Amino acid sequence: MTAKLKKEDLLRAYRIMREIREFEERVHVEFATGEIPGFVHLYSGEEAVATAVCMHLTDEDRVASTHRGHGHCIAKGVDIHGMMAEIYGKKTGTCGGKGGSMHIADLDKGMMGANGIVGAGPPLICGAALAAKCKGTKGVGVAFFGDGASNQGTVLESFNLASMWKLPILFLNENNGFAESTGVSYSVPTPNISDRAAGFGMPGVTVDGNDFFAIYEAAGEAIQRARRGDGPSVLECKTQRFYGHFEGDAMTYRAPGEVKKLREESDCLKIFAKKVISDNMISAAELEAIDKEVLALIEDSVVKAKAAPNPTEADLLTDVYISY
Amino acid sequence: MNNPHLNSTSVGILANPESGRDIRRLMANASLFLIAEKCNIIQKMLLALANVGVSNVVMMPDRSGVAAGVIHDNEIHRSISPDSIPNIHFIEMPIDGSPVDTVRAIEQMVKMGVGAIIVLGGDSTHRLVAKVCGATPIVPFSIGNNNVFPEFHEATAVGTAAGLVAIGAVPLAEVSRLNKVLRVEKNDTINDLALVDLCITNDQWLGTKSLWHPDSFSELYLTFAEADSIGLSSIAGRFHPVRRCSPYGLRLELVPPCDDVIVISAPIAPGLIVNVGVSNVTEILPKEVWHVNRHPYASRGVVALDGEQEIEFGPSDHVKVWLENDGPTTVNVREVLAKASENHCFVKFPVMPLENIEERRDAFLEY
Repeated sequence: MTAKLKKEDLLRAYRIMREIREFEERVHVEFATGEIPGFVHLYSGEEAVATAVCMHLTDEDRVASTHRGHGHCIAKGVDIHGMMAEIYGKKTGTCGGKGGSMHIADLDKGMMGANGIVGAGPPLICGAALAAKCKGTKGVGVAFFGDGASNQGTVLESFNLASMWKLPILFLNENNGFAESTGVSYSVPTPNISDRAAGFGMPGVTVDGNDFFAIYEAAGEAIQRARRGDGPSVLECKTQRFYGHFEGDAMTYRAPGEVKKLREESDCLKIFAKKVISDNMISAAELEAIDKEVLALIEDSVVKAKAAPNPTEADLLTDVYISY
Repeated sequence: MNNPHLNSTSVGILANPESGRDIRRLMANASLFLIAEKCNIIQKMLLALANVGVSNVVMMPDRSGVAAGVIHDNEIHRSISPDSIPNIHFIEMPIDGSPVDTVRAIEQMVKMGVGAIIVLGGDSTHRLVAKVCGATPIVPFSIGNNNVFPEFHEATAVGTAAGLVAIGAVPLAEVSRLNKVLRVEKNDTINDLALVDLCITNDQWLGTKSLWHPDSFSELYLTFAEADSIGLSSIAGRFHPVRRCSPYGLRLELVPPCDDVIVISAPIAPGLIVNVGVSNVTEILPKEVWHVNRHPYASRGVVALDGEQEIEFGPSDHVKVWLENDGPTTVNVREVLAKASENHCFVKFPVMPLENIEERRDAFLEY
């Protein structure tokens, strides 16, 4: 394996995954009350991917996210209180309440932003990676993109540019099986999205996106490769989402009982917990303690977000323009 | 199954589209076999099979384009020459899009009594096949990376050899080998096998399954080791080779390179040449049981089979390994074709006796 994971690493990984899960489960509940403006796209089920990848990154490294970006933000270290407030459109939000779910960004943490445009992250990460390369910072960029985005010209153009210029990038494909409601077998002609990397002169690898350890290892190799100047690569994580494309999606394109089965058999958190407990690395009690702390954190974030003030008219033009 | 009248003159072709996407493409210089290339390979095999008289071929279905590509290519060939391609029967089976499909397909092919099975894949695909193929001969065709078990041959030659074996044109016993295997058992419950190498590492988890950090290796068991091979068997292959047909295997104790041990420079993955320390080498005999020692500094370990980490074990687990002579029967493509040539299997008209040729040559010289 790339590096030995110590107990504190495992506890950290579990905590991040649990924070993402509880954050999303709570947003699911709160969105149904009608209090949250705009749309939300939940990351539940895919937690292992963002967590395993971002554990290799520092604040200097950049992440370009997707419309399903809450998990990436949490894994990259964005403050959960700020995120919840942002989703509620409050002044205390990460972006002052003006971005909402699909535009959470925190440059201090290297989070360039969730993004409402499918396939928009890869071109942005090319810019960030080029800057890192020119400045010689050894920083890397990670662009998350889905199976739907994999068919966008922007993604393929980014593959080409990144490979041509040997940019320090990990193109991280989260293949959750559906582009909105279109199954991947209807829209992608190759067995693996990572197969496309070969056409651009990059290595492409596919791993089980529900296995934290497999993702951690593969992402570690790819990020190390980018950091030492060997160029970009594509890592495809085959995973699944537990909710619809957006909140309110009736998911009529899924078989009856499909999600229930996924939650029972393919839940990355359950798989992780079972593994570390059976290996005597972490006790069930230690994981339960994390669960309680995280639940309290999420509850606190919701309470504070609801109580926070809305942006005022005076905030309308702040953070809109920037002078370099 | 569409055709219940298949018999031993039919041939199975196993090509799982999901194989060959592992991390070795990232940390080494492993290559990628695209679906179109797999279809191209199968097409050449089908033409060769038809040419030697095989009229039925059994294949596994898939959702990734191999089956669809084969069907499409066949329609083109049939429209030009109806007899140029055998009838293809796709097995009716659930498709998981995983290695499980390989096992299911082979079980069905064996049940249907095919005369031979062509396997497209690397060592790990062949390992899966070996677990369920029984006495049905397999014709290995190497695609993938760290391939040692399947040798490299051109697809037309492989198709021809498989067909000749299936129709009985050459005696199987003269052109095949019963392979050695390494069997592993954990706590008398988990049973598995390796065709080439079985490595004990001090890794904590399976992760992406591939091996490329020699510092984590502690024991290596081998059925054979050839000097020109790649992967873990190259470690022994480069200083203590063992032939496929030798009646013994090898056990190596591996340590980080230092002054007190033999240090071998070995290609443990394509393009990845590393130094490995070997502190002890033992020739192992069939049925001789070896109890796996945990790495002295690690509480846990992993058993890797043919280059892929498969079985985790902890301090209380008991893992044992032994060599057996009951592996899969593999067809030697070169031997089949040589034997078939000797037997004039490829000659469509009566063979001109050698002396006639000599007489004619003399006559020509006199003239």
